[in-house]
Amino acid sequence: MIEVAGLKKKFKLTKDHKKNKLEKTDPREDKDYFHSVRDVSFHCNAGEVLGLLGPNGAGKTTTLRMISTALVPDEGSINIAGQDIIKKPLFGRKSIGFLSGSTGLYGRLTVKENIEYFAKLHGMKKAAITSRCAQLFDLLDMHSFIDKRADNLSTGMKQKANIARAVVHQPAVVVLDEPTTGLDIMTTQTVIKFIKGLKEQGTPVIFSTHHLDEVALLCDRVAVINEGISCFDGTVTDFKLAGNSEELNQAFMNILTEKRDV
Amino acid sequence: MFEVFKKELKELLRDKKTLLFIVALPIAVFPLIFAVMAFITSQAALEAEQEVHTYAIINGEYAQEFTDKVFYHKSFKLYQGDKTFTTAEQLKEAVKAGHIDMGIYLPSNAREALDGEKQSEWQVVFNDAKSINFLFQRVKELATEFGDSIRADKLASYGISEELQTAIIDPIKVVKVDTADKRESLGEKIGGFIPYLLIPLVLMGASYPAIDIGAGEKERGTLETLLLTPITRTQLVLGKFITLLVSSIVTTSITVLSMGVWITIAINVMDLEIAKTAFSTLHVIDFALIFIILLPLAAIFASLALAISIYARSFKEAQNYMTPLSMGVIFPIIVALLPNVELTAKTAFIPVTNVALAIKEIIKGTVDYTLVGLIFLATVIVAGALIAFCVKWFNKEEVLFR
Repeated sequence: MIEVAGLKKKFKLTKDHKKNKLEKTDPREDKDYFHSVRDVSFHCNAGEVLGLLGPNGAGKTTTLRMISTALVPDEGSINIAGQDIIKKPLFGRKSIGFLSGSTGLYGRLTVKENIEYFAKLHGMKKAAITSRCAQLFDLLDMHSFIDKRADNLSTGMKQKANIARAVVHQPAVVVLDEPTTGLDIMTTQTVIKFIKGLKEQGTPVIFSTHHLDEVALLCDRVAVINEGISCFDGTVTDFKLAGNSEELNQAFMNILTEKRDV
Repeated sequence: MFEVFKKELKELLRDKKTLLFIVALPIAVFPLIFAVMAFITSQAALEAEQEVHTYAIINGEYAQEFTDKVFYHKSFKLYQGDKTFTTAEQLKEAVKAGHIDMGIYLPSNAREALDGEKQSEWQVVFNDAKSINFLFQRVKELATEFGDSIRADKLASYGISEELQTAIIDPIKVVKVDTADKRESLGEKIGGFIPYLLIPLVLMGASYPAIDIGAGEKERGTLETLLLTPITRTQLVLGKFITLLVSSIVTTSITVLSMGVWITIAINVMDLEIAKTAFSTLHVIDFALIFIILLPLAAIFASLALAISIYARSFKEAQNYMTPLSMGVIFPIIVALLPNVELTAKTAFIPVTNVALAIKEIIKGTVDYTLVGLIFLATVIVAGALIAFCVKWFNKEEVLFR
């Protein structure tokens, strides 16, 4: 289980940003800082998939980066199996598998070398790496291209390699930042299949997306962020109720509008 | 840390462009560049030496002996065109117009002045803007020769012997007794040039792969995944830093070896006496010492290049930032080339300049080993501080996620 509570994160405004700013357009901006995440809380239990929703610039990526320990929150807590990963970032890094649409691979290394490299950085032993790699290559049907350099792969192959890289160390929680953005239908299906597989294994999955059809297909829970603040955290059924619509798109719009009006 | 180093090295060895810069360039291209430059320079000097210049002389009949010397000189050819010259102004115009290369103007009272006891002023009109120009020097030599013979004849006519003439004209003869041996003398001349070649190569060996190792990670989208692994930022920085250090050292070693091979070829095939004298006195220990003091310098460059590269958002931005670094390195090397700038306890603390000065002293054979130790220590401290800065840099969100 992963529990996120009261996350806050601000970024110092650059001189250029201040200079070019004509008028204050974002309520999250003050004189010196941009308060990207102001108060975000949600949780995801074992075997659940949580869809993190929100308009562009809502603070989803910043939130996921804090969960993945790439960014340190100004306030709040992130607990995995009862341990606060803000205080224990190394534990967090061991426990989380992270993948985003823009995640790359080392082009001059083969797929196998890429995955083995990350396994070694996670402190895995040689025998464990060999068996885990074999398992992932079978699961993701990667045998035909594991010895190819990453530079020579198709988008679909790259995403499969990225998935394998993200979970090679068998993380306790998987975090995905818009993992299907820019992918074709075939590759999107691979990602969806992968998320379903994780769910079956009991791994909590948090993923941000703009595609509500993916939410309908995969998610048990939904969390909505708008302008850096949590608007909703609950089950898909509760989400439809709160949004006053059976249509996820409409429910999402209603929740955002309602919060804005409040 | 070792895993990061191994992976970076593997990637580096598979990058043809980087290999070209750190291996092929020092082996083949640099000696080629120097050979071409030497050829062009020597050809230009040879052409200037062999060039025949058209000239015109006014009132040459008043110093016929000098006029004949100019006429029969292999580098001068008398103007045979239609134009006639009677004034120095006309000579100037003709030089500007390109009708003649040089004009010599003797005043109309030249003969009287020479026969009497007055100094005669002659004008040599030419364009002195060319970088290699022997015109004035040659005419002056001929005029001096002519003037010396007139003086000798006149003094002889007064009954002054040749020996007395020398004593009167040049009462003091200063003889140079050089205590510097051949190595020191040649070391002074070429010693400044060697660091000028070596130090930028040490930088290039680190900066080129640094762009890929830092900014390249951001551009490929691999940096974030790397930061999410449970290795510490110190291990990550050290892994990358050692890769750059190795690359820099390899580039330096290849360059020195390549230069050694080319120097051997120059000595044995071309039988260049100056190369023999300059380099045969250098011992293996001197090369080893140069190599040792370059090590911490390579560490400085590796950490600087890594810090710059990780700050940059992209490959292109990193390349832009590396340019001022390269220029910034040249400046302290130039300082070491300046006259009277010597290796002292003070200059031993100026980064880059200290190493350049030490290399010069090593080549001259006059190096103070205490100062070399001081330089090594000072450079190691700077390198250590920069590595620490790099680790701090790698922990800054505003640097990693700009």
